[in-house]
Amino acid sequence: MQNNFLNRYTRGWYFVLPGLIAMLLIVAFPLGIAARFSLHDVLLYDFDNQWFVGIDNYIRAWSDPLFINSVKVTALFTLANTLGCLLVGLLVAFMLSGKRIRFKAGWMALFLLPFVMTPVIVGITWRLFMWEPDFGVINQILGFFGMTGPYWLTDSSTALFATALTNAWHLTPMAILVLYAALTTIPDDMYEAAKVDGAGAFQTLWYVVLPMIRAHILFVSIIIMTSAFREFDMVYTMTGGGPGRSTTVMSILAYNRGIANQDMGMANTIAFTMFMIMAVVAWLYIKVYKVNKEASA
Amino acid sequence: MNDRSKANVKLAGQYFGLTVWLIISLLPPVILLAAAFNETAMFRSPLALLTLRDFTLENFNVAFNTGDFWFYFRNSVIIAVASVIISVAVCVPMAYGLNKLRPRIRGALSFAVLAMRFLPHVVLALPLFLIFVDLGLSGSRTGLLFAHLAIHIPFAVWMMVGFFENVPKEMEEAAIVDGCGPWKLFWSISLPVVRPGLNALAILIFIMSWNEYLFALFLAGSDAQPLTVGITRFMGGVEAGAQYGVIAAYASLIVLPVIIFALLANRYIVTGMTAGAVKG
Repeated sequence: MQNNFLNRYTRGWYFVLPGLIAMLLIVAFPLGIAARFSLHDVLLYDFDNQWFVGIDNYIRAWSDPLFINSVKVTALFTLANTLGCLLVGLLVAFMLSGKRIRFKAGWMALFLLPFVMTPVIVGITWRLFMWEPDFGVINQILGFFGMTGPYWLTDSSTALFATALTNAWHLTPMAILVLYAALTTIPDDMYEAAKVDGAGAFQTLWYVVLPMIRAHILFVSIIIMTSAFREFDMVYTMTGGGPGRSTTVMSILAYNRGIANQDMGMANTIAFTMFMIMAVVAWLYIKVYKVNKEASA
Repeated sequence: MNDRSKANVKLAGQYFGLTVWLIISLLPPVILLAAAFNETAMFRSPLALLTLRDFTLENFNVAFNTGDFWFYFRNSVIIAVASVIISVAVCVPMAYGLNKLRPRIRGALSFAVLAMRFLPHVVLALPLFLIFVDLGLSGSRTGLLFAHLAIHIPFAVWMMVGFFENVPKEMEEAAIVDGCGPWKLFWSISLPVVRPGLNALAILIFIMSWNEYLFALFLAGSDAQPLTVGITRFMGGVEAGAQYGVIAAYASLIVLPVIIFALLANRYIVTGMTAGAVKG
């Protein structure tokens, strides 16, 4: 009721409309086109002949070993990124939130750099100077300890690990930032109370701290998950999806199908499958968020 | 061990951990920069690169002169600046207005914005590629700008809604009682409160636009390509000769603006990136 009045008085719709129209035109409309093409046979070099084939493309995709492989690769890549960033992010955020740590803003400013660094350049830098087998930093460090590192990016058994780690390096600042902000909102007397009750460091973490920053952990996981899931730039500049198909994530497969193979029907099918997965994630996020909010209210 | 020395060991441990992570964070960009200032960056250990024994500026000279740097730079700047202006102009009012709608409609629109925010970019790049052929925007800078906006608009709305929720309701109600009109309510009451959010938004969108690669690869014709495509083309040209130093110089020139930007404005980046964290 109150909101109704507010809308009429403040003319909420007038403010929403330009953005809404823009979104319909440049986001929703292309999405619709993607959905349409995923149900058609469309070849880039024969664009005028489009055949409606129903869900045939989807059936073809799920019986294609390359597609199944890309789903697995993407899942591994996403999972490794989410878990890695979350763990390191929590650890660094904990250390940074220490009561006696000085220059907190300065640390944070420097920690941010991997995140703002252009993904293409991150890929190039790690490929040429970090993973490079003979003179790269990683193998030099391993060599210092008397080990011989593998040919990281050109070995199909290590390429996915190396690309995932690079991507995690790029995304971790996001986790540090949000979790650190969350930790600073926990009042000191919570820790004091836990201490008085005789809780150890681990118990304090598990029963006091983590429940209090649950919403932030969820938020950061979702953000990292979605951006790792769609990652293209870094993987493409580091390995191009290879060697073989070891780092062909879904984005790269869609690109290869659409531009290299000129099979726009299949490319849009793969892409639209990605969209549907992310729509489910968005829906789940809102559900879980609401449950959390009601529980804490 | 008494409590005091225990606390000191803990503090030392924290500083040690932070330093380790700092080194991990800074090593790649620092190595890149060092390589750019070395005569022969290939077949040199990273330690040798860091000492800058063969200091030279020649790599930058080559990068500027043979890499069409300023041509790509111009495209990058035009697209990034236009992205910032348009998304701020469109998304800030939308985020403000969303908070004023009926809860049910607002919820539905919020979900749509969130789903679009999570959208894999390749899902838009493919159909836009085909639509732009039809519209005659194929390969153009305008087309590329539209693609960027498709990513920025949901991001910006989602972020700004969080900021507008922090505007105290009493402030707006008091203004309404005083006879403040809808436009003035937005412009003179709410907007000043979310000012830090506006700065954060502008900076984040500029960085996102500057760093973008996938759309540029799909959609930009040779006249519209930004720096991210420029460097990959440049690499293809010189990699055979393995001039890592020149590639590093080119790459440094691309990341330096965002890094300087981030160091100067990190306060806003921090507020911007944490904005969506605690909203419903």
